[in-house]
Amino acid sequence: MNALIARTEAHNPEVGFGERIAENQRRVFQIAYCVLGNSADAEDVAQEAFLRAYQKFDSLREADKFRAWVNRIVFRLALNRKRGYRRRLARDTAWQTMETQVMVDGAKDAVQRVMLERLRKEIERLPKKLRSVLQLSLVDEMGANDVGEVLGIPAGTVRSRVHTARKLLLEVMK
Amino acid sequence: MKDACEKWKEPLREAALTGTPARDLEEHLRGCAKCSAELGEFRARAARLDALLPQVAQSAEPSAGFQARALAAAAAKGEWKRGRPLRAWTLAGATAAIVMLLIGAAIYRRTAQAIPPEDIAVVQKLAEWRAPSDSLLVTPGQDMLRKMPRLGESYLNVPVKKNEEE
Repeated sequence: MNALIARTEAHNPEVGFGERIAENQRRVFQIAYCVLGNSADAEDVAQEAFLRAYQKFDSLREADKFRAWVNRIVFRLALNRKRGYRRRLARDTAWQTMETQVMVDGAKDAVQRVMLERLRKEIERLPKKLRSVLQLSLVDEMGANDVGEVLGIPAGTVRSRVHTARKLLLEVMK
Repeated sequence: MKDACEKWKEPLREAALTGTPARDLEEHLRGCAKCSAELGEFRARAARLDALLPQVAQSAEPSAGFQARALAAAAAKGEWKRGRPLRAWTLAGATAAIVMLLIGAAIYRRTAQAIPPEDIAVVQKLAEWRAPSDSLLVTPGQDMLRKMPRLGESYLNVPVKKNEEE
């Protein structure tokens, strides 16, 4: 893979793009995963986000700029894809069932598996404003500032919405 | 008893999430076993929730070949971008448009300069010409009718400006 990275960068003026993917891929994938709920689509969306970033790489050379931009774009792409799902209700149901199965493959505890499934469904039922904030906040390396940047809201609002979302989940997750 | 404790539900949830009950809730808890038990239940739920929530996202990882695939897709896109002759065609089109504009401007300037000054003078005279019957159409009432009288005034009361008469 390193050879491929080197070859890509040698052929392209966009040197450093491989590094940017390496730095951001986990977080970008998790943002898409949180919204979509399945790995295959999350990877598709994450790849699309990196492809778009590549096309704008001249203006995104700085690591911070790249990070903020790619966070925003992957979230938007994931939401767009999810809207597509909703139009195809049958598939939506299929991914939810399949997803939980895939997601908890590593979870040994059956109770935990059921709880995780329920939690995901309850998160989906949250009001949109709370759901977006909570989903982004669950991603590793996404602080309140990062989440606020993606959604265009202050970090304080992010914290308060996460708190409200947790309170609602506390009520329903009996 | 049940109704009295209903108002403590929200503070109980807050306390379970923040870890510290408010002072008035603390006082209530000293005398209420039911709410104390409920707080314990909420705390257990909050702990379960805190353990589960990170797993929703953080258990997910991109597959091993993700970086290579993303790079390959980017490289393919780059090759396609470089390979397409769009940029050359765009440049050629822009150059042709500029040349046509310059030629058009030169032709226009030459045509504008070709009109002799005598012709321009004739055209100006024609534009200023007024028919002799125009003066017959002027009536003394026109000045008065220029302005609408206000409520209670008549046309005859409209003052005629001296300058206009002259």
